[in-house]
Amino acid sequence: MALLSVRDLTHTYPNGFQALKGVSFDVEAGEFLVVIGLSGSGKSTLLRCINRLIEPTSGTITFDSADVTHITSNALRAHRAQIGMIFQHFNLIPRHNVLNNVMYGALGYTPTFASLVGKFSDELHARALDALRVVGIAEKSSVRADTLSGGQQQRVAIARALMQHPRMLLADEPVASLDPSTSHSVMSYLDRINKDMNTTVICNLHFLSLVRQYATRVVALKAGELVFNGSPHEITEEWFATIYGEDAVEVEIR
Amino acid sequence: MKKLLSIVIDIVLGAAVAALLERVIAPSLADVQPWMFSWPSIAFIGSASVCWMLLGLVFGASLGRLYIGLEVKEGTARTIATHLGLFALSTFIIGGWIVTDISPIEFLSGEGLQGAGRIFGALLTPEFDVIGEALSAMVVTIFTAFMATVVAVPLSFVLSFPAARNMLGTGLLAKTIYIVLRAILNIMRSMEPIIWAIIFSVWVGIGPFAGMLALVIHTIASLTKQYSEQIEDVNEGPIEAISATGANRLQVLWFAVVPQCVIPFLSFTIYRWDINVRMATIIGFVGGGGIGTLLTQYQGLARYHEVGTLVILITAVVWLLDVVSSRIREALR
Ligand SMILES: Nc1ncnc2c1ncn2[C@@H]1O[C@H](COP(=O)(O)OP(=O)(O)OP(=O)(O)O)[C@@H](O)[C@H]1O
Ligand SMILES: [Mg+2]
Repeated sequence: MALLSVRDLTHTYPNGFQALKGVSFDVEAGEFLVVIGLSGSGKSTLLRCINRLIEPTSGTITFDSADVTHITSNALRAHRAQIGMIFQHFNLIPRHNVLNNVMYGALGYTPTFASLVGKFSDELHARALDALRVVGIAEKSSVRADTLSGGQQQRVAIARALMQHPRMLLADEPVASLDPSTSHSVMSYLDRINKDMNTTVICNLHFLSLVRQYATRVVALKAGELVFNGSPHEITEEWFATIYGEDAVEVEIR
Repeated sequence: MKKLLSIVIDIVLGAAVAALLERVIAPSLADVQPWMFSWPSIAFIGSASVCWMLLGLVFGASLGRLYIGLEVKEGTARTIATHLGLFALSTFIIGGWIVTDISPIEFLSGEGLQGAGRIFGALLTPEFDVIGEALSAMVVTIFTAFMATVVAVPLSFVLSFPAARNMLGTGLLAKTIYIVLRAILNIMRSMEPIIWAIIFSVWVGIGPFAGMLALVIHTIASLTKQYSEQIEDVNEGPIEAISATGANRLQVLWFAVVPQCVIPFLSFTIYRWDINVRMATIIGFVGGGGIGTLLTQYQGLARYHEVGTLVILITAVVWLLDVVSSRIREALR
């Protein structure tokens, strides 16, 4: 049984816009799945349905054999806690230091009152430092998060996600605001987490060169529909034209 | 020649409008007697017609010019609209003049000027014997404002979340809470603190406690509004990120929303304390205690030398707080 199974997923925003129109695919444990598609094709919407930041309009999402499509309250938080997420704009808490930012990854497992008064256990401190070591930025642990460079912030965000001991990592255009070499560094951390820790990764990307280098499988969305599901080297020129439109030209990032 | 005619028309029209205002509209707006054929009346009608004419010349558009078909820079409709606008404006100015009893004669009369001389003389030769009493009253005022702020802040903080559009979700209950809360806060804010002070001075008796309660009400209403607007402005990103870790609602508020708001909240709060000191002074006039109450007492006794001391003290404190609070707020940024 696949770790994640998405069936006939649709999502309609409150303004009536249908961002996903019956998307189905499976993700096996250990895969590095990349989602591609034009801007506005529904990639972010898809990721947010998976960890249920938004609720699907119809269809089903099954994670680890449990139907999570419409779960609420405790079940919902437990589901989210198993899945780490990183974002294009890092979304760290400004003014708070790096170590605290990383520890917030464990909020889903921390009693409310203890967390609100800032009582994080020694074990959490140690784990947060470990997570920072994984992304090679432990020396910045006491620095304010908003003083770091973009690449550093994204590594802190990855450490925050690792704090969840995630079964799966969702990455929504994690390198879209970074320069090419920083992009590769961030992608290689995701790659290492995928290979070494056997964490399943689903990642939205725009650059096909990155897709070819890191993806074990690719799905493509076009106007809310799944139009491609296969291995990265199957994306021929024809597929490229189908996914991105006839006039698109491939841009390289090295 | 035609131009002259247009000017004459404007002058006549201006005089007619002014006469209409003075004789008919103003008396019907307020319980005042028209001046009739007195000097002020003649001066008023005369100056109105001159103004009307000048306006016509300056704007290049007037009813007179329109009538004689002289070039009108703007369209006909706009000319008429301009003149109607000017008409409405002059109605309000003249109506306001009469209603507020504006009287240049009293302002500049010998007796009036003598009175002014007396009070300025007294104010400028303050009686410093009262400085001890004044200082302790000032301390009361400052602490009235301070305590009102301290009491209001936690309440405003808690209320500001349900009063922010983006915090409660989209359910019917949430919307109802939001609308009801906003309405109550708006009403609370619309009632001036001085009115609350009158209410509370009857409720708990004249004194700083009444003043404090009045300020608490007003501060809660104002701070909650400012806080909640700040909350409506927060960046969604951190909220998503913290929610994605499996955090509950309270944790999301505390770790994603509050960190983005603390600095502006602090800034609003300090500014509010500054405002509250000024308001506490005014509130003292109607029984809110502190320096304001002391001031009304000496004013009632016509002891203007003592009033002078109090005025100097109030001015100094308000100025000092203004400087200090804006320094702090700048440093926070
Ligand atoms: N809150 C919303 N309300 C209404 N429509 C929305 C909302 N969020 C997104 N959409 C629309 O849904 C569609 C899909 O958006 P989504 O963010 O999933 O696209 P995306 O593939 O991630 O694009 P990008 O590459 O630009 O991030 C877009 O057309 C967008 O305009
Ligand atoms: Mg997106």
